[in-house]
Amino acid sequence: MAETAEGVIGKDVARIDGARKVTGAASYGSDFALPDQTYAFLVTSTIARGRIRHIDETAARRVPGVIGIYTHRDIAGKVKAGKLMADGGYLGTSIQPLTSPDILHDGQIVAVVIGESFESAREGAYRLDVAYERQPASASFDDASVETVAASEASKTHEDPKVGDAETAFQQAALRIDVSYSTPTQHHNPIELFTTLCHWSDGKLTVWESSQNVWGYKYGLAEQLGIDPNDIRVLSPFIGGAFGSRGSLTPRTAIIAEIARQLGRPVKLVPTRDQGFTIATYRAETRHHVKLGATPDGKLVSLSHEAWEVTSRPDNYMVSGTKATTRLYQCPNIYSKVSITHADRNTPGFMRSPPELPYLFALESAMDELAVATGIDPIELRRINDTQVEPIKGLPYTSRSLMACFDAGAKAFGWHERNPKPGAMRDGDWLVGWGCASTMYPTAVAPAAAKVRLMPDGKAIVQTAAHDIGTGAYTVIGQVAAERLGLPLANIEVQIGDSDLPPAPVAGGSNTTASVCNVVAKACDRLRQQLFQQSNAASATDISGMPLDAVLNDLPKDGIEAYAENLPHGTTQEGIGKLYHGHSMLAGGSELKDRIQFAFGAEFVELRIHRLTKEIRCSRLIGAFACGRIVNPRTARSQLMGGLIWGLSSALHEETEIDQASARYYNDDLAEYLIPVNADVREVEVIFVPEEDKAINDLGIKGLGELGNVGTNAAVANAVYHATGFRIRDLPIRLEDLLAVES
Amino acid sequence: MYPFGYQRIDTPQALKAAQQRQRGEADKAVSYLAGGTTLLDLMKLGTLAPAEILDINGLAHDYGDISWADDELRLGALVRMSAAADHPRIRSDFPVIAQSLDLAASPQIRNMASLGGNVLQRTRCNYFRQTGWTACNKRQPGSGCAAMEGVNRKHAILGVSDHCIAAYPGDFGQALVALEARVDILGFHGTRTLPFHQLHLAPGSEPERETVLLPGELITGFHVPIGPWTRRSLYLKIRDRESYEFALVSAAVAMHLDDNVIRDVRIALGGVATKPWRAHEAEQQLIGRRPDLPAFEAASKVAFAAAVTRPGNRYKVDLGQQTLTRALLQLAEMEV
Amino acid sequence: MSGIHVTTKINGDEVQFVCEADESLLDVLRNRLGLTGAKEGCGTGDCGACSVTVDGRLTCSCLVLGAEVDGHDIGTIEGMAMGDELHPLQKKFIEHAALQCGICTPGFLVAAKALLDHNPEPTETEIRFGLAGNLCRCTGYDKIVRAVQAAAEEMNSAKKIQQKVA
Repeated sequence: MAETAEGVIGKDVARIDGARKVTGAASYGSDFALPDQTYAFLVTSTIARGRIRHIDETAARRVPGVIGIYTHRDIAGKVKAGKLMADGGYLGTSIQPLTSPDILHDGQIVAVVIGESFESAREGAYRLDVAYERQPASASFDDASVETVAASEASKTHEDPKVGDAETAFQQAALRIDVSYSTPTQHHNPIELFTTLCHWSDGKLTVWESSQNVWGYKYGLAEQLGIDPNDIRVLSPFIGGAFGSRGSLTPRTAIIAEIARQLGRPVKLVPTRDQGFTIATYRAETRHHVKLGATPDGKLVSLSHEAWEVTSRPDNYMVSGTKATTRLYQCPNIYSKVSITHADRNTPGFMRSPPELPYLFALESAMDELAVATGIDPIELRRINDTQVEPIKGLPYTSRSLMACFDAGAKAFGWHERNPKPGAMRDGDWLVGWGCASTMYPTAVAPAAAKVRLMPDGKAIVQTAAHDIGTGAYTVIGQVAAERLGLPLANIEVQIGDSDLPPAPVAGGSNTTASVCNVVAKACDRLRQQLFQQSNAASATDISGMPLDAVLNDLPKDGIEAYAENLPHGTTQEGIGKLYHGHSMLAGGSELKDRIQFAFGAEFVELRIHRLTKEIRCSRLIGAFACGRIVNPRTARSQLMGGLIWGLSSALHEETEIDQASARYYNDDLAEYLIPVNADVREVEVIFVPEEDKAINDLGIKGLGELGNVGTNAAVANAVYHATGFRIRDLPIRLEDLLAVES
Repeated sequence: MYPFGYQRIDTPQALKAAQQRQRGEADKAVSYLAGGTTLLDLMKLGTLAPAEILDINGLAHDYGDISWADDELRLGALVRMSAAADHPRIRSDFPVIAQSLDLAASPQIRNMASLGGNVLQRTRCNYFRQTGWTACNKRQPGSGCAAMEGVNRKHAILGVSDHCIAAYPGDFGQALVALEARVDILGFHGTRTLPFHQLHLAPGSEPERETVLLPGELITGFHVPIGPWTRRSLYLKIRDRESYEFALVSAAVAMHLDDNVIRDVRIALGGVATKPWRAHEAEQQLIGRRPDLPAFEAASKVAFAAAVTRPGNRYKVDLGQQTLTRALLQLAEMEV
Repeated sequence: MSGIHVTTKINGDEVQFVCEADESLLDVLRNRLGLTGAKEGCGTGDCGACSVTVDGRLTCSCLVLGAEVDGHDIGTIEGMAMGDELHPLQKKFIEHAALQCGICTPGFLVAAKALLDHNPEPTETEIRFGLAGNLCRCTGYDKIVRAVQAAAEEMNSAKKIQQKVA
């Protein structure tokens, strides 16, 4: 080989799918087209609770080009509702539209109009006359008739982490922080719409849809449609943003598949942006009550975190971030409790760092309040309460480099120059605020399978049904294969995003790199073993460094193949069985019996707030992260940088506003649901703090895709306090919250 | 979107013929298409449904010029926002115009949208934009106003009525109303010219009527007088995001400062009113005064004295006052 | 439904198509002409994923009617590379990791090219505001700005060398 492949893991290489993405050649869901395809346009409910009284199709049927209208009258009995992923199913909601005339939330699909063109389907949908029997609807915590239950009652497996006697310790503490926080509804809003293309041929269904879980979709659809999973193929080679929104199956897919079956033609659905707010999931609003008791020198003696989350009427979806917040600091007395509030809403779901983002916003804001109360520097306060032993079960962390992250971040940020007095730092007409916060994210790894084929020309194909949601999965998988096989990266072809490939877990919980790279490494090692054993070139123990050149010529024309499965620490053989049924057995975080697995980081924010008009601008964002072995610094940096900006976005911009009277979403477009634009993001820096974790998995990889956006929320709120002396406890923080600031 | 007839209008004669035809079909909804950034947006949502579209982009030769007379700037209605914003003399002699255009929308939208269409852009009130909301007096006269008790953080506090609190979303319109521009309107009977401030109507009891334009009438251009205040002018836009967002509050201000005394001043307010909004009383407060903070703060209070708020937009009074004060301070310090 | 005949140039090649009045240019490109590089992210001019140029002007193709472009020149992402040779912006986007999921990337590239065509030496602030119409949710804003800066530098130095040679 001309080029050595050693050290490809960890190398700063450009993504291997880059050229396809910059030329427009990468094809996403709706970029695929089939001969004779039809177009679907959704009609969604304009009420949040009630019943469809009547649907008049007359005007819609008259539209030239409209060839079908599908309502509950056509779909009920043909498509089954499914179970939530958390309950062992595949879906993000148990509300399956078009199975009855009942409406359980705003924007529920009530009909699908099919046209020969997109335009005819749209016109038909606009002309469909749907009459409702409307009932009063309640959207959130404070509305009448919502129902709140303790998570431990709603779910048998739910645990509220506790240790010691937090209440007594709080009452006896020298310093007490007793505060409430809230976070709003947020929507993923990936730029790619929630499109679906379904095609039947000889009784077999092919689905083109951006998915973070192609095997899960296959099995979920099989269940919903009552067919053999082996007759379904889900294709998702490129995914235009996901952030959790494409992890669980949404009800639309089975509906479009069923319509395509009835119609006998391919059906392509391109829903609108506003429909995306109600036909998929979202991050539910949360409320928090945090009580911290501490000694005068800042040592925590009591930590209590009680929280409430909104969910839909039928589903017990919850994120329970107390699993993380009770594991961040040493404290002898800890109490936590989570409750869920059932409202007339679509079911919420995973959105980038589902539990950690809202829950750490609360805890890390409270820690800053404690820092102010004690007069201790916020970083020093965290050092005082740092630990290498997890406080609930007394287990060790596989690695924990929180303070190393704070030290590296503080140095890069220039934290020592901070004047701690609120409002003391200025830049002309702008108040300057510096804030920081801890970030953490559990490392979970799941069983996975992969196949590697080596060809006589020295090229290799890696196949696994993993997903590249923009993270760089194509590239890191290629790097691992290149290194383990001893081939240049250019010789590796990576095939993912196809449910016909060996199963891989959902691209969720930041597990893909760890889960998939480890199994790909295993398959490569196995292939080398086969290769060198066959050619008797070496003993099995001494093959990792053997050059391939010598044996390539001996390969059969179609090469040789190796298949591997991997059971990570904490998983059981049962996990392999589940894997082949589209379930991901994620193991890690705080769920293991013998150890705790988290990645940590420290995030720093500099804000400028105008002294008169109080608009808040972010001039600097720095994150220092320790997340085990970095397979590709370039794609890892992208993930963490994107995370930091996501955190900024969540802290200052994102909120799905709800019309209370109707329990409907109001700002369901990208002009009013704000995410940052280029000018909102100035200096962003990502620092990798070296961390070796030999215990966590063979390759030493921790997940990092969701680490970046967690701490930023509190860091922003803490910086707002530093700039103004105003503690804003409800996200997003907006200029009207600060107009009373004297300056 | 609903089906419509599409016709290109490439000559003034063709326009005249089309207007003549429209006169005979008074109840047929006809819309002119220039940039399309409001019209096609709202047609796609099903909110607007003209029976016929007249594509007037071919009239750029006639109505697409920027020109100057001794006493005024003339802007053709088919000048694109970006062309006016980038024009060197507009940038130097009418900063408030250039800035109001530059700070609006996105490069894409500014390249597409015409000045004539820009002043007619529709409110961003989502209760109006989305047909799924049943109560909107502007879209469906007599149906009510969901914004009153609903989401109204971005809604208007000046010029509101019991029927509508939708904010006028534009930026350029504020510059025009501040500078006492006039607008040319071509109808079947020929051209009429109106003071720009007479073009838009406050909602009153008929929020569906937003302008005085008659069916078939087309805005063809604007005249902006040159005065001793036009160079000392600016547009300040306050919003959550640094770019690409409608104003929460904005101020278009111009001042004639002589011997450290305010001889003349023009103030228009955006994001807070139901139409391009001139703050005459605040201006009166300032004339003859020295340009200092107390004077500016007092004028800012006066500008919002008539505000009528809802819970979600109450902050706009305070923010509006701060915005105007900041704009006036910046204006007084401008080097001209 | 009569259909409107449109003759246009796309990426330099003459293209004729027939469309209905209510078809957007974006839908004509994607559904009739198979040019799927321009993406639909909102359909309402809020995200920039559908960016194309019309006579060199950057526009949102979701808010242009197919019928409108008769006689005009359209530029899309498919026309940016010269055969297999990527445009400097495309190369720098890859190099600087200015793309993640890639759905906004074609729009950003078309917008960045229009920006540099208009202003070959933009400041950082001009880039940030010049690309204000393109949303990246992943979000690679910082790297996008660096990539555009690097591409501008490379294009300008190449231009200077060419001028010297001439």
